[in-house]
Amino acid sequence: MRLPALTRKLLRDVARLKGQIVTIAIVLAGGVACFIALRGTCDSLERARAAYYDEYRFADVFARVERAPEELARRIERLPGVGVVQTRISEEVTLPMEGLGRPAYARLLSLPASGEPETNALRVIAGRLPRGERDDEVAVLESFAAAHGLCPGDHVPVVLGGNLRRMRVVGVVLSPEFVYAIRPGALINDPQRYAVLWMDRSALASAFQLGGAFNDVTLRLQPGASEGEVLDGVDRMLAPYGSDGAVGRAHQISNQILTSELSQLEGIAGMVPLVFLGVAAFLMNMVLGRVITLQRAEIAALKAIGYTNFEVGRHYLGLVSIVMLPGALVGVWGGWMLGRVIVGLYTDLFMFPDLAFAMSPALVASALLISGSAAVAGALLAVRKAVRLPPAEAMRPPSPTRYARGVLDRIGLGALAGPSGKMVLREVARRPLRTALSSLGIAGAIALIILGHFGLDSLESYLEGTLRREQRQDLAVAFVHPVSPRVVGELARAPGVVAAEGVRAVPVRARHGHLMRDSVVMGLPPDGTLRKLVTRGGGHDVPLPDDGVLLTQTLGEILGVQVGDRIDLEVREGDRRLVRPVVVGFVDESVGLTIYATLDLVAELEDDLGAVSSVLLRVEPGRLAAVEDRLRRSPFVIDVSDLRDDIQRMRDLNASVMDIWTAISVSLSASIIFGVVYNNARISLESRSRELATLRVLGLTRREISVILTGGLALEVALAIPLGLWLGRAWGALFMRNVDQETFRWAVVIAARTYTGAAAVALLAAAASALWVRRSLDRLDLIGVLKTRE
Amino acid sequence: MEAAPSLVLACRDLRKVYRMGEVDVVALDGVDFALGRGELLVLVGVSGSGKSTLLNILGGLDVPSDGRVFFEGTELTGADDELLTRYRRKHVGFVFQFYNLVSSLTARENVALVTDIADDPLEPEEALSLVGLGDRLDHFPAQLSGGEQQRVAIARAVAKRPSVLLCDEPTGALDFKTGILVLDVIERVNRELRTATAVITHNAPIAEMADRVVTLSDGRVQSERRVEHRAPASSLRW
Ligand SMILES: Nc1ncnc2c1ncn2[C@@H]1O[C@H](COP(=O)(O)OP(=O)(O)OP(=O)(O)O)[C@@H](O)[C@H]1O
Ligand SMILES: [Mg+2]
Repeated sequence: MRLPALTRKLLRDVARLKGQIVTIAIVLAGGVACFIALRGTCDSLERARAAYYDEYRFADVFARVERAPEELARRIERLPGVGVVQTRISEEVTLPMEGLGRPAYARLLSLPASGEPETNALRVIAGRLPRGERDDEVAVLESFAAAHGLCPGDHVPVVLGGNLRRMRVVGVVLSPEFVYAIRPGALINDPQRYAVLWMDRSALASAFQLGGAFNDVTLRLQPGASEGEVLDGVDRMLAPYGSDGAVGRAHQISNQILTSELSQLEGIAGMVPLVFLGVAAFLMNMVLGRVITLQRAEIAALKAIGYTNFEVGRHYLGLVSIVMLPGALVGVWGGWMLGRVIVGLYTDLFMFPDLAFAMSPALVASALLISGSAAVAGALLAVRKAVRLPPAEAMRPPSPTRYARGVLDRIGLGALAGPSGKMVLREVARRPLRTALSSLGIAGAIALIILGHFGLDSLESYLEGTLRREQRQDLAVAFVHPVSPRVVGELARAPGVVAAEGVRAVPVRARHGHLMRDSVVMGLPPDGTLRKLVTRGGGHDVPLPDDGVLLTQTLGEILGVQVGDRIDLEVREGDRRLVRPVVVGFVDESVGLTIYATLDLVAELEDDLGAVSSVLLRVEPGRLAAVEDRLRRSPFVIDVSDLRDDIQRMRDLNASVMDIWTAISVSLSASIIFGVVYNNARISLESRSRELATLRVLGLTRREISVILTGGLALEVALAIPLGLWLGRAWGALFMRNVDQETFRWAVVIAARTYTGAAAVALLAAAASALWVRRSLDRLDLIGVLKTRE
Repeated sequence: MEAAPSLVLACRDLRKVYRMGEVDVVALDGVDFALGRGELLVLVGVSGSGKSTLLNILGGLDVPSDGRVFFEGTELTGADDELLTRYRRKHVGFVFQFYNLVSSLTARENVALVTDIADDPLEPEEALSLVGLGDRLDHFPAQLSGGEQQRVAIARAVAKRPSVLLCDEPTGALDFKTGILVLDVIERVNRELRTATAVITHNAPIAEMADRVVTLSDGRVQSERRVEHRAPASSLRW
């Protein structure tokens, strides 16, 4: 079959432009892959969550009480909007696991006699659920079972109401309540040392003297019910039983963390593909624009011959589709691979019964649509030039390119530069938009690298800087019940202990006007040195005021409080006292909604003469293990925690995830930079080959003309680096604003190493592509170039 | 007014004014002109006299500011871009001073550009044989001399069997000997295919090969002369 001549022209143009087409296709593929991988991961997680919550009847409302009679459940059920109600018993217990330096902790939850709870049903992975007739059977959350290699038939030691019991594992399960299982108050999940166990209710009730009563209730809303009204109703009903307030799903800890992660991912999914697609559109425009300028006379001749504008436009858009199709196909394939890697990272973090990367046809279609529009948008401006070109143009001789003494010249740079420098400067000045957009594209890629890494930097700075500055203790000892301040003195005199300070934490409900939030008041010793408060803006220690309270900045914003305002604090335990302290300042902490006050003020709240709930210790180096061991054996101590250990674990976990992110972001960014520099260099080479050949004939060396050719590129990269570093930072800040501010508020910190690394990637990628183009410069055919008419 | 049916192209009182900012450049200032069937016409005049402008308007590349243009009795004046494109596609063959071949296509393929879209074209090979390039079918423009490139351009123009062949300084970029070769081809096409042909030139002697010579000056027809005996192109000297 004979191809139409215009199609042959297209194919030959493609062959000539293959380098450019491949690089643009790669950038486009990067955009499609990121879009599919990130958006697809969001979709997959959201879908897995919705299905899981629905199928396993994840509750809508959660509340704790000290002890409430079972009959209350029937009354809660009659509240308007309430569907099913499930009461249960919930206790934190310790598991003195063998081979583990410290005990593990477990949330122990009751299962109804039927085994099937009305809410938060369990998914059995192995074995079965505990049976009513046995009081020593437990089901174990899968993460803990996996961390310890527990299978049905194994035993776990559990301290139940003061007695050590050997419980038989009968099942390994998952629960929609514990997609992310973290011990309340912990920095990070710890599958080794935090378990969730389920056992029969009657066995649990007798162990904790809760027969005919419950201390935890969850319920599901009727369709269309108002969560706010139900929460209010439940709160009113539970208030007399020592409730610290019902919460909806938004504040259920596992769901909250999952939601926060999803919103971060959505933020990235919205931003990252834009860089790729923007750069692809720009490159498309640049390359096609150049081709069309070069073929100006040919286009006019085609039109003079009788080709219609439509045919000419279609011809050049054909070139776009040749970039588009392989780019999109590779992008979809890459997105599928990348998506599975990213979902893989999440399957390690979140426990879903089935989470797999799903690439829906709609997702692929929208990826193709978006990337197609980007490529066409980039091409359209250039193609419009071809379509608009009057055919009479074919009759005119070409006019020489217009150069002028530009701004750079006028400010005297030209004089400094010498003739070849002038050529570089004038070339840049002649196409300021292209220079600016190229720099912007490279800057965007640099910003991507920073975006891929700043999370780790910010975390590191938080761990190393803020956290260590705020929390200087070696060990924190938590007691089962608040203890007398005398204990602090005794601990301080214990062998190996250098300093000891008591801390009192009291759960409160803080109100300011109509705004309200549950929080914790931390009572600190007025002259303490182990727990420091740091000012907003960081850096300085804030002395603890004795005439008021300090709030974390986040809490201050939530409650709309200014310095000097009074807030209402209602204690959420005991006889629910109310105080109205003055807010005297804010502290800038990255995590949590805490209120700080002196121990005296807290004692006033609780009316118990300065009791402490935990003690912070500084220990002689080398005696840490001995001190910790001794403390653990005390029956009054519920927990001894080593901050350094937590930090290390957090660092390790993040480092492994971040390595993958860094590898992905660096390789994608490098492909963008390579694409921008390569295409720029090719175009400079082509549009100036005649001039450069003339210079060679005049006697300039290859080196000298490569300087002329690459000088403009070097300038673009030099402009892009500071811009990219700035952009990366700004982007990080924007990203942080998307993150759930109540859980984490990390300062955006970017390590110098990240900056230099990003700049180095840019330089390397630019140098590689410039060298690539230089090869063709070395092969420049002097006679051939000079013979042809430009 | 209806033009006489024996005329292929005719125009009445043609004006073309280019607005260049504040000043108006009058390129054509009331030109009456006609091209008959099978006629070979040479258009001469000093630089800037409006020759190219006139040819572009007659060929449907450009539109006049005023006046009327007829092709085979049908009025072209006021035709939109689509109609003019169709007119060029069906009826007009162009030869440009700088050949304007598509550099990525071979001689044969450059001609095929036209035969792909014409109704009853010559075969590309046939058209190239007509211009004496039957043995250079698969050469790219860069592998051809200027004269050869111009002959490919002529083959491309005539392959659609156009009603008119319009050539703007076809020998402008060529040396004398090559120019003669190209003119010879144009003459042969005119004779063998009976294509009405208009040739713009700066070389006064070329006028001797024409049936008629029209001289433009300042956008007007200054004189018109019928040549009694057309000299063969190969006998020309300048
Ligand atoms: N696109 C244009 N814009 C403005 N003025 C134009 C344009 N094209 C032609 N002119 C002017 O119109 C006049 C006639 O130009 P035209 O090209 O027809 O002359 P010509 O006789 O072909 O000259 P030459 O022999 O040099 O090719 C000139 O003064 C020219 O400057
Ligand atoms: Mg002219």
